[in-house]
Amino acid sequence: MIKARFFLWLLFAPLMPLGGQTLAISSFELPNGLRVILAPSSNLQAASVCVYHMRGARLEPVDARGISYLYQYLMFDGNENLEPFDHVLFINKMGGIVSGRVNYDNAVFYDVLPAQEINVALWLESERLKSLRLNDANIDYQKNQIITRIGRLLESNPGFRAQTWVNSRVFEGSAYEIPLYGDLNRLRSLSNDRVRDYYQHFQNLGNVLLIITGKFDINELRSGINKFFQDIPPGRRAANPVFSAQNQRRSHVAKNWLLSGLKKHFVVYGIKAPAKIGYNFMYFDFLRYYLTDPRLARLGHILNAVNKLDVEIESGFTDYMEANCLTIQVSSSKRFNLEKAKYIIEKELHALGNIPISNNDMKAVRSLMEIDFLKGMVSLEERCLRIGEYYHMFGELNFYDVQLRRLRRITPYDIMESAKKYLLKENQVILNVYGD
Amino acid sequence: MSTAIRNLPLCRAGCLLGGMLLLLASGRAFGAEPRLFSFATSKGLAVKVLQDNELPFIHAQLLIYLDGSTQNYASLAITQLAVMNMFERSLNSPPSNLMGMLQRQGGDFLVEQNPEFMKISMNFLPDRLGSFSRLLKEIFTYQSFHLNKFNLSKERFWPLFMKGRDWKKEIALTLAYQQLVGNFYFTRGFLLQEILDGINMAQVRSFMLKNLRPDNALLVLKGKVNPYFILGMIEKDLPSPAVPPARERRETPALNAARKIFILNVNAPEPPMVYWFDVAPPAADAAFLPYAIGNFSLFGFPGGRIYHSERNRFLMEGYKVDTDTIYLKDFTLFCNYLRVNYGDLENFLLLVEQERKKFAARPIERKEYLDALNHYIGQAQVGTSRFSYELQAEIDRFHGQGTKGAAPRPGPELFQEVSFNRVLQAMDEQMGAKPKSGNREKGIVVLVGNADQVLNSLKFLKTEALELSVD
Repeated sequence: MIKARFFLWLLFAPLMPLGGQTLAISSFELPNGLRVILAPSSNLQAASVCVYHMRGARLEPVDARGISYLYQYLMFDGNENLEPFDHVLFINKMGGIVSGRVNYDNAVFYDVLPAQEINVALWLESERLKSLRLNDANIDYQKNQIITRIGRLLESNPGFRAQTWVNSRVFEGSAYEIPLYGDLNRLRSLSNDRVRDYYQHFQNLGNVLLIITGKFDINELRSGINKFFQDIPPGRRAANPVFSAQNQRRSHVAKNWLLSGLKKHFVVYGIKAPAKIGYNFMYFDFLRYYLTDPRLARLGHILNAVNKLDVEIESGFTDYMEANCLTIQVSSSKRFNLEKAKYIIEKELHALGNIPISNNDMKAVRSLMEIDFLKGMVSLEERCLRIGEYYHMFGELNFYDVQLRRLRRITPYDIMESAKKYLLKENQVILNVYGD
Repeated sequence: MSTAIRNLPLCRAGCLLGGMLLLLASGRAFGAEPRLFSFATSKGLAVKVLQDNELPFIHAQLLIYLDGSTQNYASLAITQLAVMNMFERSLNSPPSNLMGMLQRQGGDFLVEQNPEFMKISMNFLPDRLGSFSRLLKEIFTYQSFHLNKFNLSKERFWPLFMKGRDWKKEIALTLAYQQLVGNFYFTRGFLLQEILDGINMAQVRSFMLKNLRPDNALLVLKGKVNPYFILGMIEKDLPSPAVPPARERRETPALNAARKIFILNVNAPEPPMVYWFDVAPPAADAAFLPYAIGNFSLFGFPGGRIYHSERNRFLMEGYKVDTDTIYLKDFTLFCNYLRVNYGDLENFLLLVEQERKKFAARPIERKEYLDALNHYIGQAQVGTSRFSYELQAEIDRFHGQGTKGAAPRPGPELFQEVSFNRVLQAMDEQMGAKPKSGNREKGIVVLVGNADQVLNSLKFLKTEALELSVD
């Protein structure tokens, strides 16, 4: 019997899908509340250590908006045992990569380095969590840097100003309404004690995930984690509010700005889009790829190749968990062309809700989305981020197969329904920016 | 009856053999290590397949060789126009045959260019493998020439050239390369409109016939693939190259690495970019590694000499030099670059010059050598987490084969074999600590920014700088 099974296995092995596509992700919790998530890949010689804070700017108190954005810079400004940028120096010396960013829903800091040096990254990250340097001098320095940089951007870049305005109108009434850097005047007057005090919430271990991917020896890793993280006090535990997809208010907003010295007129569309935690998100993401991904360039084709309007198109997507915004910026030196482009875009968005996308386009978008998803899973830092986000949103670890299956099952009717719901005029904020 | 069959040793051996043959036919590799298969097809295309069953998609790179050392103003423009006509999405809308096939393949492709080759990289799902060889055929037999498209590409050349790429670095590389190989020296602007206007479609077509040939290309694939299946497809679909055959591999050009400063005039509000190019042996040559270590000892952050002393740290405050390694057939270029304020421009250039000279009096120390070694070994290990890892190494090996026989396989282990003495020797050659060509410094510098402001900020180096413009 066993031999017969062996023979059958031999016979059918070549026909089976090659290689495992499911990630083996596991997790455990330290007594101080820190949740550790492990996703090993033994075929690599590198590992990634990622600290995922499940607290982003959306949970900031009203009087301290922008404080998380400030931490993004303070995180590299030293701690009790390390001087500013020592963290970067250590990782750089080992040929590794270090980076991080704060967003509305989360904050992520990671190091990718040779697998045998994983304890160095664990030590560096634990130092950062334990004793971030928050003295007056470095808080003031970073505050000034942010105020100067953003102030300069707002002053000199009409595109940035326009995007900020559109985002604030799309997310009106929600936590995403205020820019990530907050209100610059308030940030200037924010007391340093408040910055130190709120850090206890930000780094609270109950809201932090330590995600490790790549090659590691599980026993050595566990002892490293215990050594560096178990002594960190749990901090003041504050429960994260549960995510809920927000119903963005439907109201069409259109506004004109007149700016002198502008080389090109432009229009910014802000389209209200579903939350990342919502079931519809993937369908809308499909629409986003179809319309704006530069590799498909559907809008570019319609406006420039079919209608010969010679306009430039840029797009952006917020990728937030409770609500989203797709921005499309169209610019042209000829106002007539811009107005025509607006008319055509309106028609195109309307048509997507009525006519199903062709099978060829479905295939093209689906395979591009799948390739991007798989590429993301190969990169260690991207994998950490996705694991963290999925756990943060749904409390689950294994999402690889689920996501892929859903992606492969998208039908033209799902897309049409999504277009009907989200590409309505009532879901759009439009800002026209004209030069002299 | 069944017992009788089970007991027949011949039958059991046959079953086992049959199963094993099936496994072999599937090309399935045991274990996680990617396996390399190299083929030279009857059509002249060199193929390297890295079978990696862990990679859930297929990554392919097609290199088509260009003869950088014989380029001139016109041929540079022809190459750029050819690539643009073939691969620029907005020019091929509605899609040409090639663009349609690229889109059906998944649409995730990128075309990069340097003076020696164009590289078409793409990612696609395993179910598209069947159509990949037809896509290759379309590239090698490209026929979608249209006068309107061609004229549009000339008209809109600069906006398209600047779109979605680091065009400043690309131009800087071209300038440095031509200066090094000494084929022709730029004295006029780069790709000026008058030069573009003078190019006709027949020239582009003739360029394609000459260069887009299977026997002038290398294909490297990585993913969950059966290498024999790929080989079969290529043999079946690819056209036989027409006579005359592609150029023979030429001799290594004599390189002129003496210092030269170019200013590329670009009207942009942001501070200028500085690109500092240094030459090293080809990456597959064992002599390459000491040069890499030398470059890191000077520019590498944070241990490099330009950050060492108090004075240097003060000058470099807020600045960090990044390094790109540009792998070419006969040599390698280190491109060290940073964005620097106009006021600090000359200080930076003089600081680098001074630190290079100091290598003669104070050669690289053992600690610096070990730091650099550690950095490169670590970087190679971190590189294993990138899906294109190993492809560059195979390309370098391929380039090394023509002239030097079996090249060593780059990897972490190889760095450990580089002796301290060899590094010292390389430093002399690379940094010009003991200049070989008279008393000239080495290193080609390209400054990209507003030329007036750059010239105003230069005091000592002003006379050396040559200003060029772009349209």
